[in-house]
Amino acid sequence: MKRSTFFRFASPSIIIMTLLMVIPLGMAIYLGLHYMTYANVTSPQFVGLRNYVNVLSDPRFWQSFRFTALFIVVVVPARMLIGFVIALLLDQVSSLLRGIYLSIFLLPFIVVPVVGAIMFKQLFEASGLVAWMYRELLNQRFLYTETSVKALILIHGVWQVAPYPLVTYFAGLQTLSQDLLEAASIDGASRWQKIRHIIIPHVSTLTISLLLFSLMDAYRIFDNVFVLSGLNPVYKADTIMTYTYQQAMKVQRLGKANAMAVLTVVGILVILIPSLVQSYREQIEER
Amino acid sequence: MERIESTFGRIMIHVVLVVFAAYSMTPFFWSALQSIKTLKDANSRTPKFIFTPTLENYQELWLRSVPDNGATIAYFLIMAVVILICLLLFAEHIPVGNGLIYGGVALGFVVLLWAIPRLVDTTDFYDYFINTVIVTVGTIVVSISIGCLAGYSLARYSGHAAVVVLIGALAFRALPRLAFILPYYWIGTLTNLMDSRLLVILALVAVNQPFTIWMLRSFFMEIPNEIEESAMIDGANRLVAFVRVIVPITWPGIISTSLFTLLLAYNEFLLVKVLTQSNWTLPVAISRFTAGGAASPSVSARIPLGAAASISATIPIVLVILFFQKNLVKGLTAGAVKG
Repeated sequence: MKRSTFFRFASPSIIIMTLLMVIPLGMAIYLGLHYMTYANVTSPQFVGLRNYVNVLSDPRFWQSFRFTALFIVVVVPARMLIGFVIALLLDQVSSLLRGIYLSIFLLPFIVVPVVGAIMFKQLFEASGLVAWMYRELLNQRFLYTETSVKALILIHGVWQVAPYPLVTYFAGLQTLSQDLLEAASIDGASRWQKIRHIIIPHVSTLTISLLLFSLMDAYRIFDNVFVLSGLNPVYKADTIMTYTYQQAMKVQRLGKANAMAVLTVVGILVILIPSLVQSYREQIEER
Repeated sequence: MERIESTFGRIMIHVVLVVFAAYSMTPFFWSALQSIKTLKDANSRTPKFIFTPTLENYQELWLRSVPDNGATIAYFLIMAVVILICLLLFAEHIPVGNGLIYGGVALGFVVLLWAIPRLVDTTDFYDYFINTVIVTVGTIVVSISIGCLAGYSLARYSGHAAVVVLIGALAFRALPRLAFILPYYWIGTLTNLMDSRLLVILALVAVNQPFTIWMLRSFFMEIPNEIEESAMIDGANRLVAFVRVIVPITWPGIISTSLFTLLLAYNEFLLVKVLTQSNWTLPVAISRFTAGGAASPSVSARIPLGAAASISATIPIVLVILFFQKNLVKGLTAGAVKG
């Protein structure tokens, strides 16, 4: 394909991405250097790096940063481990049951995240099923506290996203060569040795890409936290995204919020640069 | 791997799977139950599993008043929906062009959506539903058509520019949405485009474009170059060859990508929340059934109404996914296998 043809075909997509992603990112950098509330939306006032100083010296920013880190550290490994184990087990059942299980397991993934979070929350309301079990079994009331809200967000995080690694691993298992497994059986390998030395290496590339996508998604988690913590300052269960949103839309510190958004962009890029460089090399080699 | 044969092992497998299925299902099961209870039953401290079911929550959510001939209207609407779905399911077996049937069914749904508020007195929840349909369909149409052109050219052009676009898209796909969305708010306010569906659609197209072009590119790469070359030797130019020859072959992949676009547009919360004031889509409209939102109903009414709203928003998406489940699973695995 000629260069001019390429640009003719790709230009609508490139233009819309430039207009609505590249330029807004530039605007975020610009606005991050300005003081802006709803009152002076048309005339932001230049304040240099003061917003950045503000953000970095804001204890609530660090609090939300720590909770985001906790969310990533708990949810990403948990969803991948659960996905892998359930995929292995799913491989053991007959194909009819498999289809039924798979449809059920996919439900949390396809439901609107906000709706999933609301449904989850209803279980824990005073009239909810889990709150009732809590009372019956532990003889305690389920209260919304900082710890319980955080736990709720983590459990919901795993619930919502586990289906994705599950389906991916399951598909990965279907492409595994049966000969290799049979050879291992003849050599007397135990089930665990087969998982350790054949299956895990087989899905290792999948694992790396899943890890990257999970990390990206967990880092920018917003909807569930917004619903489950209700942006309630008492719970102190904000992630970086919900805190940024709160600063922008509730207390009208648009400049500071943009500075925070720019910092989060820098944060994820630092983590992702090695893999971006690697994809770049792969793409160059492919040609 | 070979099967575990011991009875104990097989029982344990099913125990774990059933427990995980329960974990996945319970919130849906509970909300479905809460949505058909009366206000009093839904707020009861000991959960009621035996109760007289009622549709009053759905009625309150969707209808402002109930017309006298409500039963007749409901009957005709349900019949119309059933007929349209049956047409869709059996399209393969009807001796008329498939395109004609799908077009007719789509037109039928549009007429139905247009007619409902003229037959019965619907609430604003219905308007949010219509908004969601418009935004979702608009996003799919724009995103997939420009995404196909870009994905195809990225699969075929081997120059350096293509690599730059691909890696740039990958980097932007990783960025938190908020970094673009806050400036959208600024653009929206300055240009008076706040609350416009067009801006929402274009913004959704833009943020989903990186994912869309990578996925479509992977499907176009599977198709050998010779196919459009032979068409082009026969005198078609590249665009005609692409539309006439390549798109029909890649159709299953395009459907998979459309499904993901559908989920992304239908589910989007943050972007719509920031860019709209009253032209909400369902996720934003439903979020007011949690504590603290503006215009949220009283605490006790939130439970059954929130459940009814949640179930109402879930049913259409589950129907679509059931219809296209194979494409969804195919897309999920293609996306991950190819990165």
